[in-house]
Amino acid sequence: MQLKLGQINITDIQFGSETKVEKGVLYVNKEQVLAAVADERLTNISLELAKPGESVRILPVKDVIEPRLKIEGNGGVFPGFINKVDMVGSGTTLVLRGAAVVTTGSIVGFQEGIIDMSGPGADYSPFSKLNNLVIVCEAPEGLSQHEHEAAVRMVGYKAAACLAEAAAEAKVDSWEEYRHLNLYEGMKKYPELPRVAYVYMLQTQGLLHDTYVYGVDAKKILPTLMSPTEMMDGAIVSGNCVSACDKNTTYHHLNNPIIKDLYERHGKDLNFVGVIITNENVTLADKQRSSNFTAKLADMLGLDGAIVSQEGFGNPDTDLIMNCTKLEKLGIKTVIVTDEYAGRDGASQSLADADPLADATVTGGNANEVITLPAMDKVIGNTKSADIIAGGFDGSLAKDGSITVEIQAITGATNELGFNTLTTREI
Amino acid sequence: MVHMCTIVPISLTVGANRIVPTVAIPHPLGNPELPFEDEKALRRRLVSKALHALSTEVDGQKVFED
Repeated sequence: MQLKLGQINITDIQFGSETKVEKGVLYVNKEQVLAAVADERLTNISLELAKPGESVRILPVKDVIEPRLKIEGNGGVFPGFINKVDMVGSGTTLVLRGAAVVTTGSIVGFQEGIIDMSGPGADYSPFSKLNNLVIVCEAPEGLSQHEHEAAVRMVGYKAAACLAEAAAEAKVDSWEEYRHLNLYEGMKKYPELPRVAYVYMLQTQGLLHDTYVYGVDAKKILPTLMSPTEMMDGAIVSGNCVSACDKNTTYHHLNNPIIKDLYERHGKDLNFVGVIITNENVTLADKQRSSNFTAKLADMLGLDGAIVSQEGFGNPDTDLIMNCTKLEKLGIKTVIVTDEYAGRDGASQSLADADPLADATVTGGNANEVITLPAMDKVIGNTKSADIIAGGFDGSLAKDGSITVEIQAITGATNELGFNTLTTREI
Repeated sequence: MVHMCTIVPISLTVGANRIVPTVAIPHPLGNPELPFEDEKALRRRLVSKALHALSTEVDGQKVFED
């Protein structure tokens, strides 16, 4: 499998009479996007822009999505949602790099996030550096949370697909190429290199914590093998509108840095064998079954090493530890990537579960740290949500418009793929 | 004390000594997929098991499986 990614660098976003890219500016035709995303379940959909450095706060953020367009090869981006369920991950895909769609509006559930485009909060979210088309979706009273989430989720994918059409006529600034060898080819080509796979844990607790793979609700899957290039075409998307700091937005799934880094080392000091996707379900039997299957697949692949990333926190710590210990017991050296809830002073136990075999850990930071986000000139979405997002508390929103919250309220702050700059250290 | 919980490994990690496994994280002591009478029986079974655990002497951590 071979995938070429054509990067089109977007340095600004503006509304215009047609949706197009010109000299790095993404022009957005409002009417065209609104027509593309129309959903009768929602009462109102409106569009706003949010650019790096502006005094703008977006909350409550549900998803962030990078516009991508497949121009050659099998299938289309976001299979199972925007395109048919053809296999993706090969051919050529164009990326509007530096642009994103952000969905917001009335709150669906506890734990949605904040993105500040400037000020101290901006340093905690990678999405403050993007040129964002923000879609504000209002739901009627009485719409169930699940319908609300599903509607807003589809609006995001559709908007991204609509913007991505503009890539077809744009000049490609740079190319990246990713090749995934089958097991036999990989073994033959790199017989001396350690065989390493990535175990990609997907949040699937239900109750608005869901992830979809080719349109399938991942809580219903058994762990399976995927080519790393499939993620780059949107085979995995987020239906997880909660747990802001450490959930994987669709943007993260498209740009997974663990996959990117493993590719950089592939053929040099390791053989990147592939990706095992697994879930984080809500019964003990599910957790045991999924971690058993993960370990079995790893064993069948003859791995020497594995990297396991978590999504979310709390009971998924058990999935993480089960995956890690079962791999270690097979003799597969395992590194886990997580974040921490170590209390505001950092003195508490960081994870709900632990094991001595989990002796190599990368952490994305302590989500309980408190920050005050000063007032912004403009708020897109719904400020009142501040008191009911995770990490917020009654009185989070002060009269002057500032918000005092734990950083768990900031979208992407302690991401467990290493998609941000935070970590922790022992003192 | 008895700890009734779904994710037994966490209960073991935090040091509970009498552990009764339950149904699922969103509904530890019930199962919305069951008919009312069956769910009531399930709930009674779990509470009875917890009372049994509470009246059992333990030496260290013990998980009260079926």
